[in-house]
Amino acid sequence: MPLLLSTTIAGLAAGAAYALLGLSNLLTYRLAGVANFTQTAVGAFGAFTMVALNDAGVPLPVAVVTGVLVGAALHTAVGGIMVAWFAEGRQVVKAAVTIMLFAAIVAFGNRVFGASTVGRFPDPFAGIAFHLGGVNITWTAVITTVLAVGATVGCVLFLGRTRLGLKLRALSERPTTAALSAIPAGGLALGVWAVGGAVTTLTIILVAPLFPTDYMSLSYLITQAFAAALIGGFRSFPLTLAGGFALGALGGLASSLTVVAQYRPAIPLIVILVVLLWSQRRARWEIT
Amino acid sequence: MRHALKTISVVVTVAGTMLATTTGCGTSDDPSSPITIGALASLTGNDGFPAEDATKTAQAVFDRVNKQGGINGRKIQFVVKDDATNPGRASQAVRELLAQGAVAFAGDATIVGCAVNSAYYKQQSLAVVSAVGVDPVCFNSPNIASVNVGPFTSITANLYFASETLGHSKLCNFVQLTPGGQAAYTAAVTRWEKATGKKITINDDSIQPSSDLTPYLLRAKSAGCEAVVFNAAQPQVVPMVKIAKAQGMQNVDFLFLGVSYTEGVARALADLKDMKVYAGSEFEPYTDDTEANRDWRSLAESIGVAGSSFSQGGYVAAQTMVEVLKTIKGDITRESVTAALKTLKPISNPMTGTPFTWGDATSHAPNQAVKMVKLEDGAWKTVTPDFVVVPGADG
Repeated sequence: MPLLLSTTIAGLAAGAAYALLGLSNLLTYRLAGVANFTQTAVGAFGAFTMVALNDAGVPLPVAVVTGVLVGAALHTAVGGIMVAWFAEGRQVVKAAVTIMLFAAIVAFGNRVFGASTVGRFPDPFAGIAFHLGGVNITWTAVITTVLAVGATVGCVLFLGRTRLGLKLRALSERPTTAALSAIPAGGLALGVWAVGGAVTTLTIILVAPLFPTDYMSLSYLITQAFAAALIGGFRSFPLTLAGGFALGALGGLASSLTVVAQYRPAIPLIVILVVLLWSQRRARWEIT
Repeated sequence: MRHALKTISVVVTVAGTMLATTTGCGTSDDPSSPITIGALASLTGNDGFPAEDATKTAQAVFDRVNKQGGINGRKIQFVVKDDATNPGRASQAVRELLAQGAVAFAGDATIVGCAVNSAYYKQQSLAVVSAVGVDPVCFNSPNIASVNVGPFTSITANLYFASETLGHSKLCNFVQLTPGGQAAYTAAVTRWEKATGKKITINDDSIQPSSDLTPYLLRAKSAGCEAVVFNAAQPQVVPMVKIAKAQGMQNVDFLFLGVSYTEGVARALADLKDMKVYAGSEFEPYTDDTEANRDWRSLAESIGVAGSSFSQGGYVAAQTMVEVLKTIKGDITRESVTAALKTLKPISNPMTGTPFTWGDATSHAPNQAVKMVKLEDGAWKTVTPDFVVVPGADG
């Protein structure tokens, strides 16, 4: 099996993680109307809470549930700030606020958990599920992939087919109008933030063994989450899913090509440029 | 009003600094006044860098000397300044230390200080015996000698151990670049190739701090690497070994640098018993209760500093400085310390594999030897009873 193919396949495991994080980011954008930079810093905070509790002797299931709750609570707090003060703000203002919050949460997390302390993440699914193209595929990769696909289908059905989904869409697109139509705006929005925080924390707990397990590195997974969501045009869940996998696969491919390996962090940018150019291919400009 | 206040505060600061400088110069020649030794340390700004272990242990060495009567009756005053891992602060802190009359630095543990200050040290003829050197300048400056091996020579040492002791012919080196380090990392591999006449199979410095390591390991596997050397710290070393296990690389030796020789890595990898993990200790392995470590350990324990290579570096650097000061007849000044270093006979320390030297060299890298430790049952065990000395030392 050629090396190029096997490293590409290997990248898909990370791709599934990017996809899940991207989907969660997209959900917050579509339903709470915020391009949210704090997502992975919050998720890493919850995940490290789990590690700290587990290290202190708390049984793993209890530690995981507590970590997820902490992630959900912190994300809800971020959402609370956005809902209370910036609900009617412009997109650019909201995004800038979350960037500031991201910096604050990262600084706080680094203090609490140590900037380069190794998180002892449990890796219960490290066993080999099957062998594909010279790569051992772990159960972690299989589960992450199934979750990513499941989340995509779930999001599409939830928003398109349920009454609650419809209300949430109304809420994000016209918050004031929605509130006037007796939709409990604040509560629903905070619910979205809570779910986003819980999903992100759980994703990071699951995929952390693939990545450098320090607080900082895990927080910076936000770039990949945004890249995946951008590929989906901040609109489409299926395209975000595909975007995550594409980013992972390209990252894997690039690492076996020595000439481009150093520029791996630029891959998301290149992918996004290509997607934007392709999606605008029918656009016409008139010079007057 | 605000402008006036600003002017006044500038004038006061400048006057204060001048006063301090004059006082400093005045006291250094006085036989009853203390000898001021400075140290620059990244005490804050990077939580993963325990610089305090180095400076606290160095302080304990100087305190003991003072208790025993000092250097020819003169006490050592040890002043540590935090550079906050910030180049601007690192530059400022050195000027403050000189203003306080520092005749030399010892026990430094700084991430940014060597590169920022090397030229100023030369201009001021200040000698620095650093405890923990990080960037290439710490090992390539006429005024700095670091007592640790450092990341670059450590790579050469790991490669040398893998090829000459473990007998591997296909070696692969993965590097996560640090600022200003690319040329030195490449030189480390070239040095091994020259010393052994062998060729590296893969030398890849494209690993980024947030890289997923699976594709890199697959590359190493497909190239048939028998040993993988990786320079990163704990957060990346642990996933590397876990992913390598998932990809069935149990027959490959993984060799890391001193930065990964920690209890944290040992604990995190304790369950992966079938993986072969080594690290290069830059001093007598701190986890060993050997004769060589005895004095350092009892001193470190007496001040409540846990065993670490940083603490060992602080100890060796301070001990070395004390030896240097003892050789000086007459005034102890920046110039006389530098002169003493130039004519210094090699100083051996049982905690290092090669003696401390200075002489007329334009660069100093006295420590050219590591001891290899291997992970066994969740603990580090020394596997080379003697130091592995890297051939072709130019330091």
